Amino acid sequence: MLFPAALGLGLPLGIGLAAIGSGIGIGFLGKGAMEAMGRQPEILPKLQVAMIIGFGFAEALTIYAFVTMFFLQGRIG
Amino acid sequence: MDQARPGHDILSRTLWTSWIVALVLAASLAPARPRDAAAILAGQLIAALHFIFLRKIVKLFTERRGGAGLSLAIGAKTLLVYGGLFVLIRSGQVRYAPLCAGFALPFLSMFLKSMMLALGTGPASLTRRLTKGALGTFGGAGAVLLLLLPAKARAAESATELPNWLVILHDFNPNNPAIAWLENNQIIVFAWVAGFLFLFLSWLAMRKPKMVPGHFQNAVEWMVESMEDVCGGLLGPEHIKKHFPIIGALFFYILTINLLGIIPGMKSATSSLDLTLALALITFLYVQFWGVRNLGIVGYLDHLAGSPRDAIGWMMLPVMLPVHVLGELAKPVSLSCRLFGNIFGEDTLIVVFVGATALCLKASLAALAVPPMAGITALFMMLQTLTSIVQALIFSLLATVYLYMMLPHEAHAHEEVTSAH
Repeated sequence: MLFPAALGLGLPLGIGLAAIGSGIGIGFLGKGAMEAMGRQPEILPKLQVAMIIGFGFAEALTIYAFVTMFFLQGRIG
Repeated sequence: MDQARPGHDILSRTLWTSWIVALVLAASLAPARPRDAAAILAGQLIAALHFIFLRKIVKLFTERRGGAGLSLAIGAKTLLVYGGLFVLIRSGQVRYAPLCAGFALPFLSMFLKSMMLALGTGPASLTRRLTKGALGTFGGAGAVLLLLLPAKARAAESATELPNWLVILHDFNPNNPAIAWLENNQIIVFAWVAGFLFLFLSWLAMRKPKMVPGHFQNAVEWMVESMEDVCGGLLGPEHIKKHFPIIGALFFYILTINLLGIIPGMKSATSSLDLTLALALITFLYVQFWGVRNLGIVGYLDHLAGSPRDAIGWMMLPVMLPVHVLGELAKPVSLSCRLFGNIFGEDTLIVVFVGATALCLKASLAALAVPPMAGITALFMMLQTLTSIVQALIFSLLATVYLYMMLPHEAHAHEEVTSAH
């Protein structure tokens, strides 16, 4: 397989796979936060901060794939 | 009468604004491209007619005085507005882009106006004059030029970003070295613009601080205080006093830069890795500096080594030291790449949709395709607003967390493990 063809096939696939992982992570985070919110509504402000930080970490993985795509995008012939 | 009907007032004011913008644009384009200038004026005329007839029809309809007048108004509107557009486009005398730009002007000024109203700036405030004068004109002009440029087929093909006013200025004055320098360093220019905007807004809010604050001072104080509360919840009340200046400055500076990109003709400077990396390195150096300052040199090295307290800890030292050093070095990388990737991705998304709009402009159903595409773009711009705020929050919150890890707390994760041992 030619290098550009492999790149053209692999980059979107890689982003998709990374997005699956991040999606699962963010989903778990959101689920946990919602359940905690339902049990103890009074911890809402603290919970939101922690949740957003967690989202940031989980989302970063897809962003890495995204950045990799932008660096390699020009080499797809 | 006008006081009682604010909608009425807004309609006539936006029509006036858009006429002024259209005349200024046409006058500035007329020497070089008289046909485009005429097309902008024609588009503006048709849109203005559309609004005038629409107002008439709604008035007749709601007052239940239908019959002949109503059908006459509807007929005249159909004939003049749609027929006029059809004739203009089919005649082949005008280009689509300037015509559509002129047509979009009243809608655009109305959109800006309603955004300003939705943001809570009532009719009697300072921002009204600003909107009507500077911002309305500037936004309208920026959006029109933004629509004109893809017609050149240069920006739409290669670049993955919308042309901003520096690019436009450079296109009109290709031989001016100062403008060429600015266009080359546009990230720096927009970072400075955002910085000065941030300073100006802070000065505006705090130039005459009062015990019972006015609208603007109240809003700014609320933002600063809630940010301080959020970070103070992480850092603790004694540290937040010391560190909030830099964390808050990071938050509001990044927020200003991000939100600047929503204005047509402007650009988010954070959509370049250069600026985000600079911000992340500042954070990194600040955190490391306070790490050494708080823990001492020995304590800092101890922290990097994973705080070995027993035989197993010392045996793990060759493994833990590189891991912790790499972990520290990964922080600026992940901070900068996260901010850059999010803002750049969101910008690219909008470019793709604006590009689709520009493609639709070339189809013969131009007038029908523009409003839905513009609506989709506007939806993504709302998403962009959300992303801007959340990313600025995440950047400053993570800076806070990294700082917190460097403080001499007893709540360190690995220390707890070893002390529980």
